[in-house]
Amino acid sequence: MNPWELIIQQPVINILIVMSHYLADNFGLAIIALTIIVNVIILPLTLKQMRASKAMQELQPKIAELQKKYAKDKQKLAQEQMLLYKESGMSPAGCVLPMLVQMPVWIAVYQSVMLSLAVAPEGLLNLSRYLYPWPVVYSMLPLANDFLWLNLAKPDVFLAILVGATMWLQQKMATPMSADPRQAAQSRMMLWMMPLMFTLLAMSFPSGLALFWVTSSIARIVMQYYVSGWGGLAPMFARESSAGDRKYTRLISQSEDRSQDDVGADIVVSGEETAKGDRGSGYLPKPSSTRYQPGRDRARRRRKK
Amino acid sequence: MGQSKRRIAKLLILLVVLVIISLTGLGCVSGLQPIGWSGGTVSGDTFFVGSKEGRLVAINVIDEGRQWSEAIKAPAQGGGFGCLPTAGAGCGTGSAGVAIYGTPVVADGLVYIGGYNGKVYAYNSVSLEVRWVYPREDYLEPIVGGLVAAGGKVCFGSSDGMVYALDAANGEKQWEFATGDKVWSTPSVDGSVLFVGSFDGKLYALNMADGSLKWEFTTEGSVAAAPLVDGDTVYIGSFDRHLYALDAATGAMKWKFMGENWFWARPAVYGNTVYAGCLDGKVYALNAANGGKLAEFDLGSPVSSSPVLSDGAIIFAAREGGIYRLNVSSNELGLLADIGEEVYGPISGHNGIVYIHTQDLSLNRVNANTGAVLMPISLAIKD
Repeated sequence: MNPWELIIQQPVINILIVMSHYLADNFGLAIIALTIIVNVIILPLTLKQMRASKAMQELQPKIAELQKKYAKDKQKLAQEQMLLYKESGMSPAGCVLPMLVQMPVWIAVYQSVMLSLAVAPEGLLNLSRYLYPWPVVYSMLPLANDFLWLNLAKPDVFLAILVGATMWLQQKMATPMSADPRQAAQSRMMLWMMPLMFTLLAMSFPSGLALFWVTSSIARIVMQYYVSGWGGLAPMFARESSAGDRKYTRLISQSEDRSQDDVGADIVVSGEETAKGDRGSGYLPKPSSTRYQPGRDRARRRRKK
Repeated sequence: MGQSKRRIAKLLILLVVLVIISLTGLGCVSGLQPIGWSGGTVSGDTFFVGSKEGRLVAINVIDEGRQWSEAIKAPAQGGGFGCLPTAGAGCGTGSAGVAIYGTPVVADGLVYIGGYNGKVYAYNSVSLEVRWVYPREDYLEPIVGGLVAAGGKVCFGSSDGMVYALDAANGEKQWEFATGDKVWSTPSVDGSVLFVGSFDGKLYALNMADGSLKWEFTTEGSVAAAPLVDGDTVYIGSFDRHLYALDAATGAMKWKFMGENWFWARPAVYGNTVYAGCLDGKVYALNAANGGKLAEFDLGSPVSSSPVLSDGAIIFAAREGGIYRLNVSSNELGLLADIGEEVYGPISGHNGIVYIHTQDLSLNRVNANTGAVLMPISLAIKD
């Protein structure tokens, strides 16, 4: 057994099997429980990454302004961008590093779920080498693959669609539409590409893995809501609830129109109208934090220092 | 606009690479695809084995001439680039046929074989033409255990939890028996009784005539091993890490012995000693009368392959490819050869040659006395 198998895979597989035993011999529940537990363990990292992403998004208008201002001087642009990051107390690596740390954890969970499923006879035979000498572990195998309407060892179309839908929701919450048309196009593509790819993958892989993806996405939706509210979903909710509230609709459309037409311009939202929003107002920032006036913000921070 | 398109294309490529790396590369785990581990059987001068391309292969042991049956077909199912547990392609297996796990059985001019596609095939042993298929339409759940032919019947278990008995001549179903879980165990016959294990943890003794239950014995783990009947005792290994010795007439337990992992392979008996390979990498020599441990031999890697008897010795294969010769009179173990390929399924012997079907589409051969490794025989149809 290599170190990865010994330190990561073996414990996770045995925990999955024991959890399965204590959750009424239900491997589906064990997958859900393990996914939630792992999410809780890496919660600080996830929150750090989400907050860094949110902060980065909030800086986008300023970056766009700098790009416009220093379009012909790349070196100056880079300097100004670095200065902006420094002043706002963040670094682009802040988004990436926590994600990189999380990746091995998710790969370990993914591999352990697949190994524990022991889809093929070779898989079951192979699984025997990961087992701890606990009687409960030996007697539990092979794990029962039935969960709700699913055979966890076989693909399921409905669950595959659910994978795509929850992933789309989570991504939509995490990425508000950018004012920059190019970035908006990229965001739109990201928003659809990942969920589509994972839906296709889920249609081919055992549904036990899809169950892990769905649970994971739902957990991230909850965390994303905690960090940024409804984020990119807020306008959709606003439109839906606008049948009896045309004033609110006008506010949304005005702010969207303005942001597309005038990059980096002041965005002013009255306190009265903001108060109507729920947590989803994260997409419509509070007046004090959203009144961005080029040049003045940075000067104010410098004075504070 | 052109620059924007390029950026989007770059992003798209990055996305695809990321997903492929994380899922296919880093994330791909072994054992997702059924590949097969069919053992071989010799009838006359012909060696029959199920290839990893999903074909019955007949090899003339004299001139090494080969003959292949038509490829077994998989049930039509969807799926794209994932790891579907139906046939065998994907995740680095290099195989595209239906997996065959059971060893072919020869009786009355026919060769019988079961496929992971849930069908049993009877071939003419000379021409390899299909005589009958069961079921004719549709498919059963995957067949992993081998078949047994006796008394004009062919018996086998399926992953649907049923044990079936078919008319050996025409494939008509004679009877069926429902267990509580998948049946991957190869049945054994002793006179008029059929012994078969199930993942429900039980060993069943059934009347061959009508499939009625004679007795059942419950272990504390699943049973995938094939039972061995020797005299009035039946030996069976279980996932509860025990090897059991039961009274063949009543199912009463005589003794049990605990290993450090599952007993997956059929044991062997020589004289008053039971030799049982275990997935803990050891072969245990046990007193057949009371289960007392006489000796244990460490083979270094799991033993899932059933052994063969050969001239006062028992030949074992370890997972990592080590072929060992255990001298039964001196209880000494020696490494006969290392073929360097993984061995999962049973090995077979004929005329002093041990045949080992490995995971690389080849049939390896080792001289059982000298350990000389002979040129492997390819089971690939294009060679």
